[in-house]
Amino acid sequence: MRHPILLALGLLCALGIGVVHADDVDQATHEHAVHVAVGTCGTCHGPTGVSQQPKYPLLAGQNANYVAAQLKAFRNQTRGDADAIGYMWGMSATLEDGTIDALAQYYAAQKAGRGRAGETALVAKGRQIYEKGVESVGVPACAACHGPDAHGMGDFPRLAGQHAQYVMKQLASFQNNMRNVAVMHGVAQGLKVEEMRAVAAYLEAQE
Amino acid sequence: MNCHRTRVAVAARFLAPVLVLLAAPAAHAVPSFARQTGMACEACHTVWPELTHFGRVFKANGYILDNLKQVRGVTAQKEEILSLASLPPLSIMVQLSDTQLAKPMPDPAVAGASQQNGSVAFPQQLSLFYAGKIAPHGGAFIQLTYSNDSGGIQIDNTDIRFADLKTLPGDQSLIYGVSLNNNPTVQDLWNSTPAFGFPYAGSNSAPGIPYGTQIDGALGTNVAGLTGYVFWNESLYGEVGLYRSAQQRTLPLDSTAAGVLSGSAPYWRLAYEHNWGRHSIEGGLYGASFKFFPGAGQALAGPTDDFQDVAEDVQYQYLGDTHLFSVTATRIHEKQTLNATYAAQVAADAGIGNLSNDLTTLRGFATYYYKRKVGATLGYFSTTGSTDAVSAPNSPDTKGWVAELNYMPWLNTKFSVQYTAYSKVGGLSNDILGDGTGRKASDNNTLYILAWLSY
Repeated sequence: MRHPILLALGLLCALGIGVVHADDVDQATHEHAVHVAVGTCGTCHGPTGVSQQPKYPLLAGQNANYVAAQLKAFRNQTRGDADAIGYMWGMSATLEDGTIDALAQYYAAQKAGRGRAGETALVAKGRQIYEKGVESVGVPACAACHGPDAHGMGDFPRLAGQHAQYVMKQLASFQNNMRNVAVMHGVAQGLKVEEMRAVAAYLEAQE
Repeated sequence: MNCHRTRVAVAARFLAPVLVLLAAPAAHAVPSFARQTGMACEACHTVWPELTHFGRVFKANGYILDNLKQVRGVTAQKEEILSLASLPPLSIMVQLSDTQLAKPMPDPAVAGASQQNGSVAFPQQLSLFYAGKIAPHGGAFIQLTYSNDSGGIQIDNTDIRFADLKTLPGDQSLIYGVSLNNNPTVQDLWNSTPAFGFPYAGSNSAPGIPYGTQIDGALGTNVAGLTGYVFWNESLYGEVGLYRSAQQRTLPLDSTAAGVLSGSAPYWRLAYEHNWGRHSIEGGLYGASFKFFPGAGQALAGPTDDFQDVAEDVQYQYLGDTHLFSVTATRIHEKQTLNATYAAQVAADAGIGNLSNDLTTLRGFATYYYKRKVGATLGYFSTTGSTDAVSAPNSPDTKGWVAELNYMPWLNTKFSVQYTAYSKVGGLSNDILGDGTGRKASDNNTLYILAWLSY
């Protein structure tokens, strides 16, 4: 943990805040959440969290803790990127904690979508950044938190297979602090657009 | 397009010239959907009323997506039997406009005089909408409009629908539903079809296009249609339905009414949409078959005037965060077989026109917006068809261009400047009124300034 960002991330993991357990969700809440997931969230994210539109993130197989944290951030209007404000603040406004936890469990239980192969050279460059970071500008390896296979760890989201367009947009939002996450702002601020494209292409190609 | 009137608008005068306004003044999007979903307009619209893919899915799903507290009712078997928003989804829309012709039209009452140029409409339209969820799987888009040309309040575009979603193997989806509506294509999901096609607003005081096809807005608010649709995997769309006369102010329908449908008119629609990255492209077909009794003094029986409409449409959209671009186009071909009108003319042994006519309308528009703030549209329109000696004008051929600039200080407010240029009206470029006054087609060129507010 030589890198200050990694140290911060380690502390976040150690805190273990907001862990979602399947046992926490009763049957009625689960059924309600499935109804919401299919009938409401599914409009953009697909009935099982496999969105067809690259503007909307894949949620199938996503870590439950991450989904729950994001839904609460939308509901509490603390996540401030443009699409969060335009889409998710409204859609999450009436979600109760129990439903959020059940939704998180629902998506975590879905089979993740398949990745899409990208341009070989770009994917290779993205892999390099994902696994090693960009030391010259202080960008740490993404794999340190998101896992070597990009399946996520603890509170850190799964990125494997995620739509490149969505990943690009999030990195840009971290960079300009519209999505105000100090750790990711620190990570992303040193990335050039071409490097973000490469990482996004690499992640989209993973399963 | 609630102001469209075509050859069938006046019974027994199927070939008489009835001006068709180029614009579609009733094409709207409404803030009540934003209030219901909690989403900004940009979720469903590039710039209203043009729908994004999400907007199309929202509409296909029956306008039911919501985030409002609901008044609910459930059975002991947990079946949801009531789901009403705690606040009704209401919206208001106002259009204020000014119309300037290149040369004012002749005064119809005083020879040699002209109508006043520069028609101010305050308002051109004032509409109240109920647009949103009405039941667990049902929603409605209902518009009541005061317009300055009618001077009264009347029903406008209406689309009440029930829909549901099934998940198919392989994460594919199937949306299916029914729509009860009063204007063929008002229920459609794309902006390349007539009811919600460009131009989304236009002057109601300028002379327009002499003739139009039936499916191109001629029947709006005078029919009731029930259609069923499926939308597979948000890409393949199919719809069939029937329309029947449901005229305002005349009931029950009898010989005093004009242009009454004989039985029910079949409507059909097939479209395929493909999305990739920020791009979306759609291609489709739609059509309908209408049989009218001329009425207006004749019994609603015997031969009918038949109109067979078949159309193609295409739409392309690019949705960037900064730049937005879209293209819409449609071509509508109409085959007319005027059995009733022709028989009446033969019986009278005077003014015998064609038994059959054809009419083709072609429109195409390209729109660019910068950050949904400033935009421009350029488009071409053309109506062509067979000539008929008893019609005046006896040719439907009308062609021209439309250019529009838009400024949107906020997502629910639009200021537009629209210019329509005609190269031909009623088959003529010069002396288009045929009265020797020498009025040219370009004298009908129209400058239209609009303030359009929705809240």
